[in-house]
Amino acid sequence: MEIRLFQLLVPGVALLFIAAVAVRYLKGKINLSEFLLSLIFWMGLGVFAIFPDNISVFVAKLFGIKDNVNAVLFLSIGVIVYLLFKLYAEIKENRRKLTLLTRKIALKDAEELDEL
Amino acid sequence: MPGPLTKDDIYVCLPAYNEATVLPEVIASLKEHGFRKICVIDDGSTDGTSKVARSLGITTIAHQINRGAGAAVQTGIEVARLKRWPALVFMDADGQHLPEDIHALLGKMTETNSDLIVGSRFLSDLEQMPASRRLFNAIGNLMTNIFCKQRYTDSQSGLRLLNQRAINELQLEIDGFGFCSEMLIKAEKAGLKISETPTHVRYTDYSRSKGQDLQMGFSTAFNFLFNVLFK
Repeated sequence: MEIRLFQLLVPGVALLFIAAVAVRYLKGKINLSEFLLSLIFWMGLGVFAIFPDNISVFVAKLFGIKDNVNAVLFLSIGVIVYLLFKLYAEIKENRRKLTLLTRKIALKDAEELDEL
Repeated sequence: MPGPLTKDDIYVCLPAYNEATVLPEVIASLKEHGFRKICVIDDGSTDGTSKVARSLGITTIAHQINRGAGAAVQTGIEVARLKRWPALVFMDADGQHLPEDIHALLGKMTETNSDLIVGSRFLSDLEQMPASRRLFNAIGNLMTNIFCKQRYTDSQSGLRLLNQRAINELQLEIDGFGFCSEMLIKAEKAGLKISETPTHVRYTDYSRSKGQDLQMGFSTAFNFLFNVLFK
């Protein structure tokens, strides 16, 4: 099997990210589900870089897609949609926290002004 | 067990965003109709809404930044909970609601022993409502009724009366206009009794310029669905 440069680079980068995520988990900065999700994502990317043809053909067969390039495209769109969903959920959570903070300050101000 | 609510038990809460020009008129009208317990929730206005409200001697809670109608309503609910107010009416601060309709809400609450009364514009003078508003409301009703056990004729109405049980139970999370539907869904889940009563609206050029446009409507619908489906 001919080894191409990206087949070394991508798994290497994935390993670095896995190590960083593991450190974040051990320091208690992320929870177990976040750790496992990141681990699966980076391991998946690393394995895919090592066996791109075998995996894309497997995915194409699994979902009944004729061309393995199309399978890679569909899979990528799926991953992007998932990441967008995660991003939106995170923005929502930050907005919620901002509202709680705004409310807390408003109630505190009102109390100080003898409004309550 | 406390007796039926009276007019004197009612606190009127006006969630307001840049309403300094109409607020004095709305407050004067409320006072004329005997509602003197008024609270303004200024949602980060930049036109001096808080200043105007305070100069009129009204209790004013001011968000430092704009967080949306739902966030202002939830702040009103939390103030009511904190102060143990027996009943709370939410009314739009743009002057579209009529203070005399609060009597209709109170009457309906006493008659049906409900915890939450929604003033329905669709049970009264529908012809006054602009066509675009009618469309937004129809979509809002459709989406709300999918997730509710009861059928509501005006799920997006801002005129609502809550008794103490509703005040204690409701915890809204949607900051924007989606709170109207969220309140009904959460009230049903909490086992609160909800009724509607006919109320009237006065559409002016000013009140028409407020509220939701098409883009906000889509954003409200998307946020509402996201909250309901992925909570």
